[in-house]
Amino acid sequence: MTVSGEKLKLVSHVDAINWNRVQDDVDSDVWDRLTANFWLPEKVPLSNDVQSWATLTQEERTLTMRVFTGLTLLDTIQGTVGAVSLIPDSLTPHEEAVYTNIAFMESVHAKSYSSIFSTLTSTREIDDAFRWSTENQNLQRKAEIILKYYRGDEPLKRKVASTLLESFLFYSGFYLPMYWSSHAKLTNTADLIRLIIRDEAVHGYYIGYKYQRGLERVDEAKREELKDYTFNLMFELYENEVQYTHDLYDSVGLSEDVKKFLHYNANKALMNLGYEAMFPATVTDVNPAILAALSPNADENHDFFSGSGSSYVIGKAVNTEDEDWDF
Amino acid sequence: MSTTAVRDLESIVREDTELDYHALNAMLNLYDQDGRIQFERDRQAARQYFLQHVNNNTVFFHDLREKLDYLVEHDYYEPEVLEQYSFEFIERLSKLAYARKFRFQTFLGAFKFYTSYTLKTFDGKRYLERFEDRVVMVALFLARGDEALATQLVEEIIAGRFQPATPTFLNAGKKQRGELVSCFLLRIEDNMESIGRSINSALQLSKRGGGVAFSLTNIRESGAPIKKIENQSSGVIPVMKLLEDSFSYANQLGARQGAGAVYLNAHHPDIYRFLDTKRENADEKIRIKTLSLGVVIPDITFELAKKNEDMYLFSPYDVQQAYGVPFTEISVTEKYDEMVDNPHIRKTKINAREFFQTLAEIQFESGYPYIMYEDTVNRANPIDGKVTMSNLCSEILQVSEPSTYNDDLSYAEVGKDISCNLGSLNIALTMDSEDFGRTVETAIRGLTAVSETSNISSVPSIDRGNDMSHAIGLGQMNLHGYLARERIHYGSEEGLDFTNMYFYTVVYHCVRASMEIAKERGRAFAGFERSKYATGEYFDTYTEKEWAPRTQRIADLFEAAGVHIPTQEDWRELKEQVAQHGIYNQNLQAVPPTGSISYINNSTSSIHPVASRIEIRKEGKIGRVYYPAPFMDNDNLDYYQDAYEVGYEKIIDTYAEATQHVDQGLSLTLFFKDTATTRDVNRAQIYAWRKGIKTVYYIRIRQLALQGTEVEGCVSCML
Repeated sequence: MTVSGEKLKLVSHVDAINWNRVQDDVDSDVWDRLTANFWLPEKVPLSNDVQSWATLTQEERTLTMRVFTGLTLLDTIQGTVGAVSLIPDSLTPHEEAVYTNIAFMESVHAKSYSSIFSTLTSTREIDDAFRWSTENQNLQRKAEIILKYYRGDEPLKRKVASTLLESFLFYSGFYLPMYWSSHAKLTNTADLIRLIIRDEAVHGYYIGYKYQRGLERVDEAKREELKDYTFNLMFELYENEVQYTHDLYDSVGLSEDVKKFLHYNANKALMNLGYEAMFPATVTDVNPAILAALSPNADENHDFFSGSGSSYVIGKAVNTEDEDWDF
Repeated sequence: MSTTAVRDLESIVREDTELDYHALNAMLNLYDQDGRIQFERDRQAARQYFLQHVNNNTVFFHDLREKLDYLVEHDYYEPEVLEQYSFEFIERLSKLAYARKFRFQTFLGAFKFYTSYTLKTFDGKRYLERFEDRVVMVALFLARGDEALATQLVEEIIAGRFQPATPTFLNAGKKQRGELVSCFLLRIEDNMESIGRSINSALQLSKRGGGVAFSLTNIRESGAPIKKIENQSSGVIPVMKLLEDSFSYANQLGARQGAGAVYLNAHHPDIYRFLDTKRENADEKIRIKTLSLGVVIPDITFELAKKNEDMYLFSPYDVQQAYGVPFTEISVTEKYDEMVDNPHIRKTKINAREFFQTLAEIQFESGYPYIMYEDTVNRANPIDGKVTMSNLCSEILQVSEPSTYNDDLSYAEVGKDISCNLGSLNIALTMDSEDFGRTVETAIRGLTAVSETSNISSVPSIDRGNDMSHAIGLGQMNLHGYLARERIHYGSEEGLDFTNMYFYTVVYHCVRASMEIAKERGRAFAGFERSKYATGEYFDTYTEKEWAPRTQRIADLFEAAGVHIPTQEDWRELKEQVAQHGIYNQNLQAVPPTGSISYINNSTSSIHPVASRIEIRKEGKIGRVYYPAPFMDNDNLDYYQDAYEVGYEKIIDTYAEATQHVDQGLSLTLFFKDTATTRDVNRAQIYAWRKGIKTVYYIRIRQLALQGTEVEGCVSCML
């Protein structure tokens, strides 16, 4: 998928970034979190899933491949257009820096799916799955809707689109690896996806937070307009997402369960933007096994011999002092 | 029954059938509307697991006779095991086991047992054993025809006091099986034959199960000369790569992924390269993913860091030339200055504090390396010889001897390598035992049987080591569970006092049991006469000093449990008898991390605090499952402070109490929040070294979700 036809706006003026004068503490908190969370797909021993992959039926494999190509597309958009398009609207230089990190990690995510593919399956199957992703109308429509808003000239609307992408649209795809791992299948792949979820959770939260800061700078009428816009966009995406979910999951009978998960995450996305929930609790009762698997906390007690887990971070290096060696 | 009760029951039944057992189990990790942990959901999950899955998939037999005949005839059971007993006895034993009404306390316990331990049909689809059947088969196998011992083993295992380690519990009595031994440790010497043999051993031992550790310290460094030609050797990294691939190739028919560890001395010139293999951004060519790393650190490294000096790294080849023995056999602490001054030993230097900081950085990123405090270990070692490495779980600490090879890879001289059979006591239930001493003795006899029935002919140096030493490792688990049950905080004064007295009492019975076996067999382990047991030096600390509870609470607990605390007089008597008969096992105790078996046994792992009140457990074969700490309910949560909250000092203090009574090591995991820095990790390492800790296992880092991104109402997400 290439995106062409518009020129990227560049920031008009640049000052040297001074991290010792941070206007918004959230910027540095999120920066620290994102850099500590840095990872590359090579760290996950995906090849341990080869045996497990062989136990899936043909339908299940096709589904899994399609889900991942769909996710690849979204991550590509977010890495090459989405996060980059947010940079010119930044309120602080540190916010710009955070977006560059987000953009880079989205590209890492997009590449991760390719690592999964190449580990588990053959080139022909990979090509088939990618072909499906370019031919599936609902997936393409999802991409078009989001791209339309990224191209628009309203900074806050771009943030809404971006938050809905990060916190809502990814999850119809994330459902599947979480489902597999709760049934003891493809657990290392699930580890990798959980690393992605860990990142997306922070991205969605941060962009939503910046949106709310942006709202503080506009008048009441504009706020109303943006809220209407947000819910309209959410409806538009939701309807499309339901179709997409049926396209994917009908073959294995999971569609109804996935839809609950969509509702749950739609509410979550709106929450990130500072709005009330759209779906009542009765339709957000996600299967607890999926919900519990989703926890972005790195607190699982994994068995080191079968996987690397999703819990390690890059530590802060601090020299020891003489007093530490006082024995 | 009142109508409300009926309605409640109906609603429970309805809910049960709506949710599958995985979903019910996952609800453990989500609070109910009143903010309470839903323990009953996990019990429902365990019940549903049996109703929905296990019962429907268990092969039915009319009676025991039909069952045993079928299993023997179809090559599921080893007939030789059963032939040692009369059918009537086996039937009585089976009845006894079933009469104890064993029930899994958690979903994970049941799930783990049925996915990983029980005997299944060859297509893997149906179950042939229940828990009781497995216990009986293990007991029959280990007792080798001794009916009294078989009965005793069934009693101890079914009651949950003694739990054999995974390889034993999984394999005993099955016809198609791996080895019963948990751990192997092998040396590699500085020549191609030895390296080649090691690859073969890695394959052979992984195929049969068990973790394998290698010491790489003797291999010459990258850039060292070969046949006097400079810059020829490629150092330890390519050997690590070969080993890693060997381990992933052989995986015990898919039952258990081969797993290995490699140890390197801190003063080996490749030490930074070795550590960098675990870097997050390491190049694919040198990245090590699944092999575990350990570093052997002598006292001198700490002394140099204290003075903020450089530390010299020594070429293993030159050291061997200078001293005529492999690098591992040299005490770096002792010979440091001498080696620095020796112009024939080529050396490089790095800053000692920088080394420790790098160590901590890598631990943050990967959890590795393990640490073995070499001099501490050797000071405490009662056996003649030097301990140069540890194993995959850092609890095995035994002496070894090098092998030499002919050009065709046959042995010129078979050395002595290490294997270890493990099994653990459940501390809470052992304290409840009607006869504490007998529980320990039964465990020691069970483990000794594993050693005596093992015959690892594929690796002669292991086989020889096992025949000579009959080394075993009795472990302990459920310390935190016990303390919480008794409403004692982990790491409190009473907690430390209990740990000390418990291990003190256990070691007495271990030595006593091993002496009894030596007396019956009429022989001790090879080399007993050169050990500190023979000289009596081992007993000094017990005969010369009185060990008694420091707090009234602990004295009362032992009193109430009817557990006799050995006196100095008891020890003097034992010392006499050991001098006369020897002991049968070269090594007796080792406290492993107890993963899987503590879930089946409903214990907290090893002797460290719970990682979380509701633990998220993830493994290749079972996926992601949730496990509640034993004895925990919504009223005593306070005593289940998790390891990250408890902090490293209390954990190290607790381990230090136990360490004084354990001849080998104890797997000690350190837990840090992600707010910790490398300096905190270094301070913990220094603290552990000063407290006499022998080894450090993983470093675990917990990162909590950024506020605003967490899953609502999730138990393990809360501090």
